[in-house]
Amino acid sequence: MTSLLTQVVVRLLLAPTIVIAAAVLAKGYSSVGDGFSAGVIAALGVIAVYLVLGAEQADRLLPVRLAPVGAIAGLLITLVVTFSSVVRGEPLLTHAPPPGADVIHLGTLELITAVAFDVGVFLLVFGAVVGILRTVALARSEAGS
Amino acid sequence: MSLPARVSAALAALAFVLTLAGWWSGSPGIDLPWAPSLGLRLSFELDGLGVLYSLLATGIGFAVVLYSGAYVPLHLEHQQRPHRDEVRFFGLLLLFMVSMVGLATARDLILLFVFWDLTAIASYFLIGYDRQEAEARTAALMALVVTGVTAVLLLIGTLVLYAEYGTFSIPELVASVEPGGTVTLAATLMALAGLAKCAQVPFHFWLPRAMAAPSPVSAYLHAAAMVAAGVFLLGRIYPFLETSELLLDGLVVVGFASMFVGGIVALTRDRLKQLLAYSTVSQYGYVVVLYGLGDTVGVVGASFYVIAHALAKSALFLTAGAVAEATGERRLSELGGLRRAMPALALGSGLAAAGLAALPLTIGFFKDELFFQAGVERSPGIAVLTILGAALTFAYIGRFWIGVFLGPTRAPAHRVSALLTGPVVALGGLVLVGGLLPEPFVALANAAAEASLGAAASVDVFYHLDARAENLMALSAYAIGAAALAAPRVWRAAAETCARLGERLGPERVYVATIRSLNETSDRIHGIEVRDLRTRIAAILVPGGLLVLLGLLATPTAGAYTVGSLDRGDTALVLVLATAALAAIATTLPRQHLTLLLVAASVGFSLAVVYAFLGGPDVALVAVLVETTLTLLFIGVFALMPRASLRRLAALRTPPTRRWRDPLVGAAAALAAFLVVWGALSRPSVGESVAEEHVRLTPDAHAKDVVTAILTDFRGLDTLGEITVVAIAFFGIATLLRRGRLS
Amino acid sequence: MILLLSAVVAVLFGAGAFLVLKTDLLRVVVGMVLISHAANLTLMASGLTRGKAPIYPLPNGEVSDPLVQAMTLTALVIGFGVTALLLGIAYRVYETHFAVDFDRLAEEEARREAELEQEEVSV
Repeated sequence: MTSLLTQVVVRLLLAPTIVIAAAVLAKGYSSVGDGFSAGVIAALGVIAVYLVLGAEQADRLLPVRLAPVGAIAGLLITLVVTFSSVVRGEPLLTHAPPPGADVIHLGTLELITAVAFDVGVFLLVFGAVVGILRTVALARSEAGS
Repeated sequence: MSLPARVSAALAALAFVLTLAGWWSGSPGIDLPWAPSLGLRLSFELDGLGVLYSLLATGIGFAVVLYSGAYVPLHLEHQQRPHRDEVRFFGLLLLFMVSMVGLATARDLILLFVFWDLTAIASYFLIGYDRQEAEARTAALMALVVTGVTAVLLLIGTLVLYAEYGTFSIPELVASVEPGGTVTLAATLMALAGLAKCAQVPFHFWLPRAMAAPSPVSAYLHAAAMVAAGVFLLGRIYPFLETSELLLDGLVVVGFASMFVGGIVALTRDRLKQLLAYSTVSQYGYVVVLYGLGDTVGVVGASFYVIAHALAKSALFLTAGAVAEATGERRLSELGGLRRAMPALALGSGLAAAGLAALPLTIGFFKDELFFQAGVERSPGIAVLTILGAALTFAYIGRFWIGVFLGPTRAPAHRVSALLTGPVVALGGLVLVGGLLPEPFVALANAAAEASLGAAASVDVFYHLDARAENLMALSAYAIGAAALAAPRVWRAAAETCARLGERLGPERVYVATIRSLNETSDRIHGIEVRDLRTRIAAILVPGGLLVLLGLLATPTAGAYTVGSLDRGDTALVLVLATAALAAIATTLPRQHLTLLLVAASVGFSLAVVYAFLGGPDVALVAVLVETTLTLLFIGVFALMPRASLRRLAALRTPPTRRWRDPLVGAAAALAAFLVVWGALSRPSVGESVAEEHVRLTPDAHAKDVVTAILTDFRGLDTLGEITVVAIAFFGIATLLRRGRLS
Repeated sequence: MILLLSAVVAVLFGAGAFLVLKTDLLRVVVGMVLISHAANLTLMASGLTRGKAPIYPLPNGEVSDPLVQAMTLTALVIGFGVTALLLGIAYRVYETHFAVDFDRLAEEEARREAELEQEEVSV
């Protein structure tokens, strides 16, 4: 159904897509983008592979089976971040470190709770979008067989 | 024992030890702001009441978990269900335990309500654990409806108090309430919730039905925890109840009514668990009477009664389960003489029964002593009623134990696991220990009463070997009870008539009739409305549109509309907007689904460009991504449907009656939307946006992109809600398309 | 500008309402998408200020209102979730009734209910 060229290209494209998603996530705080867009970008990369190679081969190539795990983990991360401030005795979602305090930088990535929250959003969206489209694909192969 | 049973037992034991340790060390509790702007706090404290009910929930929970370790596998085997269902059982049991402890220690009324409902939910699943049986499902639903509907009264009462005093915190409320109509109203509503939970007349009918639950569930929920939560609530809100004499007298009436209804019906029941269920109704009647009589003796007595009853009654429920496992029989008329085959069980449950019948040397003796004392202090009439109640208890519990363990052997028993008898013996032992060494139990009850009364309570109990009123009352109760046991022919017919009358005219019929008529109404609405989805959509769109138009007419709009300014830099934006509008109009034309989809997608993409021009690159990016994903998803769903069906759909012709109606409705909707949106955009209702503050605060949040900072920080809860929707959509689709398989 | 934006919102909403009234369930879903587009555009247009993107270092002149942007983003994502779920439901309806047009669905449902009642009577 698909030509050899698209098969090669789509595999080649996957790595840059993930890198771009990571960049959008990491730069979200200083530039356009956030966890949601990063999640969808990464998911689109995976889905492209799915579309071109078909469900079986894609499952062998990528750990898409784990998509629901990613979604649930993402939801848990956001919940933990949300409630972590309550444990410190502050209202929900109070960010740490507080305003004015120094922030540890890893390159352009700042280690603050809001970034952890965004990582959770990323994982959830990535897992959910891949999971939804994969559900449709699997329903199709089941209906076919 | 299986792994889940072991883990649950370990957790229950740990919770019990921690509660004890917390009580001894006098831990200050937990107090965390949860939503401080709404006055909500996560606030827990182990006060006397909290300790008492937490110890009951975890301690008896521990015994019940051990028992279940042997009982549940057998139960599942009888029903030919897979072993992994065990996990569900223990999970629910632990959930129930957690919600009970949360309920007991909550210091905030909203928190209390949340845990209150959580116990109802856990009990729903536990009662309906045998979900393949219609009886269990009906019973579970009934328990949920009765306790859940009345739980709303608890919430209303809470809100009434909040409206008056502006706080949900129980200690603050207790400090500030003054006798008056508001407090009486709130206390009445809350008391009703409590009475329904502890199965008092006229809400009692759910409890006998709930006996469809497995025996350990009954032993835990219907002896020590779920039902006890009802009287716990009475103890917790006692400061509010106390403000009205009338309310307390009402409690006395309800309590006595339950005591006699429960007691008389218990005398007539043949099924062991039914007998015990009615006995529970009657026993919690005692507790409600004690709260109603009030004063130090009454309140201490109520708490002490709960301890004594919980120990004895859960042992008896466990006995009923063990007997059923050993013999396969569940009826008194089929059982007898089991003392020979099961001596340990006979001993343990004998002690428990003696405790319930208030014989000396058991903890039960003191529960009745306090009960008599409170009755004597009030009036002679009440004292007589207390004696009659105690006599009834003596009679039906004697009937239970004698019927099962004495007399000729009717059903042969085979050996059962020691885990089925061990907990019964242990609980029976505790009943005995409480009779010989009542001090720790009384101390617990005093501490609980202190939390209810807000003042130190020090009631002591001793054996007095003299002719004081309480002793004489106890003796006469034994005498009447024994006489009733000896001559059942005298009362049997009368009691059975009473029971039948209750079934014929009782509140259960009201419940059934209500549920049935609700069902019929729902069917009728379904027939009218749901038959055609279009009428339903119209039923939402038309009134919605009319309401908005009414709002528009009521708003002074003269001169409000402004056209706004356009400059040359906006040319591109105008062009893209025109594209979006044209594409939207074009979606009404195509027949083929794929064409329709592509046109709709072009609307989305041009809107993304609009967002970019309006200065929102973040929004534009997300709009493009969402549109792409949705388009893929649409194509996926189209691919799922056979091509022939799609072709048939595309060939559908609009019937002539609708050929003019649909465009007209669309045009009317567009016009209304135009008027409303134009008006709203022309004159914003706020002069100044909080946006400026967000922009100013962004560097404080260590961010540069204001929009991202708002999403993940300032308004993070919105985002949390948003991604929850995505997660729910994912799980929903997995359920719809692949029956819940996620991968 | 205000007039123009509200006109486009109106067109989106009208087209959405038109599609929602169709007999074809898939068209109804597309109609819902258009209606949520109308809502998103309204949100975005209700910003109090218009200008450059609100990203530090702030540009000279006005920045566009970041609050409505955040709200539009949230609305977009929720719209995505809801649409995905609607599609799932549409497919499920097809799977159980072999039809996604309302006229046939109504017939189908009436037939099944009659069958159920028949069964109850015979039981």
